[in-house]
Amino acid sequence: MNMQNQNRNGYMLLFVGMDWHKGLSPEQTQKVSEDWMAWFKRLNEQGKAVAGHPLGLEGKSVSGKNRTVTDGPFAEAKEAIGGYFMLAVPTMDEAVAIAQQCPGLPYGAKVEVRPVLSDCPMKPENKIEESLVGAK
Amino acid sequence: MNAIEMSNDGYLLLFHTNQWWQELGREELQQVIEQNHVWIERLMTTGKARGGQALARKGALVAGKNGRTIVDGPFAESKEVIGGYLLLNVATFEEAVAIAKSSPGLAYGSSIEVRPLTNVCPSAARLKELMGEEQLATA
Repeated sequence: MNMQNQNRNGYMLLFVGMDWHKGLSPEQTQKVSEDWMAWFKRLNEQGKAVAGHPLGLEGKSVSGKNRTVTDGPFAEAKEAIGGYFMLAVPTMDEAVAIAQQCPGLPYGAKVEVRPVLSDCPMKPENKIEESLVGAK
Repeated sequence: MNAIEMSNDGYLLLFHTNQWWQELGREELQQVIEQNHVWIERLMTTGKARGGQALARKGALVAGKNGRTIVDGPFAESKEVIGGYLLLNVATFEEAVAIAKSSPGLAYGSSIEVRPLTNVCPSAARLKELMGEEQLATA
């Protein structure tokens, strides 16, 4: 991947892991939580984060032809998404640099950094070309 | 579609996908794309959805004490990743789930995670709860 690539659509940070506070004292948990909120506020004031939310613990998952609904989209709190930020920064490098400031990292949280697309990913050029030559 | 503003409530749909569209022929693919487009347009014009975007199938994962571990590059084709999101303006979980159930992509192997948006960090909320219990226990 070319890390210098510009992306005018920005980047999404997905915070992976909802159990980072395990093993922390109430005071420590509160401190990290406040740091996290302050971090968002600062990025927001700088115009670098345009949106963001923690996600509630509860959730449902909908899947399959029969549109089956199951409780809890996640098997493990460790892999669950706990929140997101939308970043209005132009490069992957800057988005990663921001992700590296996440206050949850020392406690096991992970941050997925993903470029936002302006168009639907279901029609990448290579797929259209494949269809045109009748390869599939 | 644009990114959204901060808001007090609502639900987030996260689309988990493994690139099922690679398996479809041109006509079927075109049909699903159109259905999907119509589905989202309808949600936007009725005010049920307030924003959504697709995510590139590449990126980085930052982890470790100082954020020094960075894994990057495209994801394996078979790997299920979050391919996009849609923010819903609806008031109840039931309505959010009902909307998720009407997604055209489900029939092809997408699964949709439905999550409430909060303004309070869940861990901080849990902490408050625990402190309340302690107070009750000592009262």
